[in-house]
Amino acid sequence: MSTAFDIPAGTAVGKSTPKLENREKVTGRAEYIDDLYRPGMLHAAILGSPYPHARILSYDVSEALAAPGVVGVITGDDVPDGRMGAFIKDEHALAKGKVLYLGEPVAAIAAETLEQARAAVNLIIVDYEELPAVLSPEEGLAPDAPILHEKLKDYIKVFDAGSEGNLCSRTELTEGNVDAAWDRCAVIVEDEFETEPQAHVSLEPCGALAEVDAQGRVTLWSANQSVFRVQANVCESLQIPMSKLRSLTPRVGAGFGNKMEPHIQPITVALAMKTGRPVKCILTREEDFEIVRARHPFKIRMKTGADAQGRLIARDCEVLLDCGAFADDSPGVLGYALLMSGGPYRIPNQRARGKLVYTNKLRFGAYRGFGNPQVSFAGEQQIDEIAQKLGLDPIEIRRRNMLHEGDGWFVGPKIASNGLARCIDAVEAASGWRKGLQPPATPGTRRGKGIAVSAHISGLLGTGAIVRMLEDGTIALNTGATDIGQGSDTVLAQICAEALKLPVEMVSVASPDTDGSPYNWGTTASRVTYTTGRAVAGAAREVLRQAMEHASEMLDTPVEDLELREGGRIAVKGSNEDLPFAAISGRAHWAKGGPIVGHHTLVFDEPTHDPKRSIALGLPFPQIGVFSFGALIVDVEVDEVTGQTRVVEAWSAVDVGRAINPRLVEVQIEGGFVQGMGFALYEAMVWDGPRLVNPSLMDYKIPTSADTPHVHSIIVEDPEPNGPFGAKGAGEIGLNPVPAAIANALSAAIGGRARKVPMTPERVLNQLLEGGDAA
Amino acid sequence: MSFVVSPTSVDEAIAFLVDNPEARPMSGGASLVAMKNARLIEASHFVSLARIDSLRGIRRNADGSVTIGGMVPHRDTAACDLLDGDLRMIRQAAGQIANRVVRNMGTIGGAVANADPAADYLPVLVCADAQVEITGPGGKRLLPIRDYLVDWYETALEPAEIVTGIALPPAGSGPSVYRKLARTPGDFATVSVACARDGDGVRVAVGACGPAPLRAPEAERALAGQLDDPAAVAAFCEALVALADPVDDVRGSAEYRLTLIPRMVAAAIRDVTGGL
Amino acid sequence: MAGKEVFALRINGREREVFARSDATLLEVLRDDLALRAAKRGCNQGVCGACTVLLDGVPVRGCLTLAGACTGREVTTLEGLAEDPITRALQETMIVSGGVQCGFCTSGMLVTARDLVAQTVTPTEGDIRKALSGNLCRCTGYVRIVEAVTDAVVALSQANTDTREAIQ
Ligand SMILES: Cc1cc2nc3c(=O)[nH]c(=O)nc-3n(C[C@H](O)[C@H](O)[C@H](O)COP(=O)(O)OP(=O)(O)OC[C@H]3O[C@@H](n4cnc5c(N)ncnc54)[C@H](O)[C@@H]3O)c2cc1C
Repeated sequence: MSTAFDIPAGTAVGKSTPKLENREKVTGRAEYIDDLYRPGMLHAAILGSPYPHARILSYDVSEALAAPGVVGVITGDDVPDGRMGAFIKDEHALAKGKVLYLGEPVAAIAAETLEQARAAVNLIIVDYEELPAVLSPEEGLAPDAPILHEKLKDYIKVFDAGSEGNLCSRTELTEGNVDAAWDRCAVIVEDEFETEPQAHVSLEPCGALAEVDAQGRVTLWSANQSVFRVQANVCESLQIPMSKLRSLTPRVGAGFGNKMEPHIQPITVALAMKTGRPVKCILTREEDFEIVRARHPFKIRMKTGADAQGRLIARDCEVLLDCGAFADDSPGVLGYALLMSGGPYRIPNQRARGKLVYTNKLRFGAYRGFGNPQVSFAGEQQIDEIAQKLGLDPIEIRRRNMLHEGDGWFVGPKIASNGLARCIDAVEAASGWRKGLQPPATPGTRRGKGIAVSAHISGLLGTGAIVRMLEDGTIALNTGATDIGQGSDTVLAQICAEALKLPVEMVSVASPDTDGSPYNWGTTASRVTYTTGRAVAGAAREVLRQAMEHASEMLDTPVEDLELREGGRIAVKGSNEDLPFAAISGRAHWAKGGPIVGHHTLVFDEPTHDPKRSIALGLPFPQIGVFSFGALIVDVEVDEVTGQTRVVEAWSAVDVGRAINPRLVEVQIEGGFVQGMGFALYEAMVWDGPRLVNPSLMDYKIPTSADTPHVHSIIVEDPEPNGPFGAKGAGEIGLNPVPAAIANALSAAIGGRARKVPMTPERVLNQLLEGGDAA
Repeated sequence: MSFVVSPTSVDEAIAFLVDNPEARPMSGGASLVAMKNARLIEASHFVSLARIDSLRGIRRNADGSVTIGGMVPHRDTAACDLLDGDLRMIRQAAGQIANRVVRNMGTIGGAVANADPAADYLPVLVCADAQVEITGPGGKRLLPIRDYLVDWYETALEPAEIVTGIALPPAGSGPSVYRKLARTPGDFATVSVACARDGDGVRVAVGACGPAPLRAPEAERALAGQLDDPAAVAAFCEALVALADPVDDVRGSAEYRLTLIPRMVAAAIRDVTGGL
Repeated sequence: MAGKEVFALRINGREREVFARSDATLLEVLRDDLALRAAKRGCNQGVCGACTVLLDGVPVRGCLTLAGACTGREVTTLEGLAEDPITRALQETMIVSGGVQCGFCTSGMLVTARDLVAQTVTPTEGDIRKALSGNLCRCTGYVRIVEAVTDAVVALSQANTDTREAIQ
């Protein structure tokens, strides 16, 4: 069933309504997890493993338990043998039997004060048998490698992962005949690329607060991107029925994938259960770096061929991913990266293969872009290289090859809407791309522009909405989607208001609550506006249907002769006779029919893989989503003395189908750009052997207002047929092309090619000095 | 557990430090409290110098020399008109430390006491031939900053001694410049260069490439009069490279630092010669 | 309890007494003891700026300031700036500009921005970007925050003109 509204939006959709909760945020009254307190609440501290790989032989917690203020201690012995995980259930609530990375939580303490908890944590004695560690995917695949997960074969897996030894998963996608295609190519480029791990650094560190009631039922507040994933993970790992745990969320200080799957929630719940008291656990910034998750480092080998006209003929992509100690979202990232490795182009022969290998490091997982920025860094540079070899303009070669509406994406999914051409036109025009318009470099610098394009999905899995008409005709909306600051509460309220032709102020949005909200997989995969928006539109339409039935009886007019009017009124067509929602809802509440409640749920169910055109092995997402598109041009300046690169200006156009709230879309584009710029130029988590050496904001740098450019955000709208009012996702696409566009601009400025992200001053200076490839 | 005490005179502060060997002086607290929060230090007391009036202010002395009080925050140094000509680089360095808010907190006394090899003040003060005014149980002494900086994070400060000020020679008229490469604005330097014109020569100090700023006085003398000779400049840069003892860290590799020294020094010399 | 003492602090114009750890930071005392939670702990190292508050009218990091060193000094948090005209102008422009996303950096950002606007007659985009560089935001990319400050400056100067005209 389609849930799109083809009525022209006007009441609420398309307006840059300020976010509903902004006033509480600008007055400092918004409450985040660390702002919550409960009577009798204890504070928690965590003991991390000193080894990257070791067997736990025994614990002695007696001294810690006797320390001042300590109320309870938990170790691996206190948690059941339950394992959680989005794709492969391989992770305990707390290390049990073995530790798999340095810093992995092995024990936790709850005490009256945070100071007491932190002081006592070092009194816990753990006896380990150290094991040899695996510190790279190559080491992990070696025949005699130490094995991290001895029982990997027995773990529950939600897809055909092909797990074996330290191989967590593998995916292979093929279309056409790549090996036979190279002979038909006039140009072939082939290279290896590498990207380093990026930390999410949401300004709010992860945290949780858990409380057990007299019946033994748990209430859990936490910083999250999905109260439902929190519930599932805690219940799986601690083996409690889902009905015995209620998961809630305060305001969330942003999430970029780091708060989607569990962080500290299972440990916090275990401590609350052990002590019978409310327990709050807030990670330090250092712990947030060390024990949550990060963007995967990629090793990519890519080969692309085209004919003499620059038409792409074949691409072969092979990737090797460091998984870290637990699978987490990694199999999804691998599969998705491979799916996106061809970019938004028609390439008749394509192959993408990859392996994901367990190592004794922090788990890598979901991070805005989900593997797409890494493969785009390789792929979009190769498009430029081919253009260079053929003497084509980089924009021209992209126009020649781009996918069109109705085309199939690599392995099968159909593209229904596609504004890519308009995105390219828009950034070309806005940036003055044509030669001659390049402003001169300041003395001592070199300057150049680069382009990259991208596509991203929005979709995946289940979602729902409940819309209730209150007695006075105003509306209560409940979706279970966590607003992480990006404004989904506002956008969903706008969709609901539009569908009912009400001012947006007349719609309240419930905070997600697993007790009362319909299921929502999560705020991830650029999906809330598109999938939850569809559910909201469907539920609102159900409310409207019921209201129309009431009105029909009240006005003694057939439903076909009624219409919805601005302000939430149902009127007789062509007449002044109408009824406000309040009258209708009053009747429903007190006289006839019962309160008006509409609900709508859906699961994204269009298949990713078309077996008629391709072969897919180990595909983690059988039903993926619809496609958004984007194009980015950057103007960069390189300091000839140091190699430091500055983005002078950026133009980013994104096709979001329909901008429900244009300003919020623009901020997604701008924020995504800057996060991508940090990834491209200097952000990198650095390990010395097993130890993360820069787990602090002193040592790990993110972009500041002073080194970021003005970003021109451009919205393109090519409506998605089944999106709510035509909308599709905007959350990640703005980040994807950033490293690639900067690399292409660098090449224009100084020659050579960047092979590694981040493009640090050191690497760029080498590229400049060699006048060729960077180290 | 530490206690905070706030003496109102230098004598009182020193007496307290003498009586409490586990106490530590605290100026802006910007580094000290960060270290405490990271559980890197322990102290019985933090002896705040914030209420000692005599440590405030920047003044020009009768002989033209300039004294910066130990408690002068980076914000004030960055805005001080007395620091002109070949002392102007000190303003530039102060203005590039951290950010607007931390510059309200951090002080020159604290920064010099902390002696982070990547700190911005060190190369400009070494380049300016500054002297560190140290006051302790034995009274006051002035030490050339090059003698004061002993090793990685090690200074000539004795127990219960505090940095009470920085003494600068009278400002010369030649231009000066501070060049800093940092990953992002407000980060500590990957490499930094202070350079001041001095007659027909230059004084140059390089930061973040060893335990203390690199300075090559003999090579400076050799370069005098030959600032427009690229070969002479290159030889001068090589002399500085030879003194360097950089490390690999998250801000850059040792090798990169060695590559940068001649490039940044040559650029700084160009800055102060205005393209001779 | 050992290691605790009573601090007499002047916060948002009121004398407050708190019984806290003797080496507690101002941020801890504000949040835990005084329930003034606009200032946030983002890093506890002075880098992120989410805990920025005013000490004797000057912006400092709450996490790098020891409460014990603040006795007799005037502490002002975002809560205490509720009636401050510059802060109010900034709050209004932040609400509409899109400069507020997750909101975790917002309190500190506003305190720093207020200081800039109070000290600088007409800050340029470059001035604003420099002044805010010690307040990290991971959501917005800063474009709309800079815009909000620019718009607030315009609104304030407009308001000044209006007041002047009304007086004349
Ligand atoms: C976020 C951030 C970014 C920074 N970025 C930079 C940067 O880019 N460049 C840079 O150079 N610095 C930087 N710093 C450091 C900053 O300049 C510090 O303020 C400075 O190094 C220490 O000054 P302070 O007055 O705060 O000293 P404190 O923190 O009070 O003290 C530092 C140390 O010196 C001791 N001490 C303090 N005063 C005295 C004294 N008078 N005599 C003897 N010992 C004393 C203390 O016991 C302590 O060990 C940064 C700091 C922060 C928090």
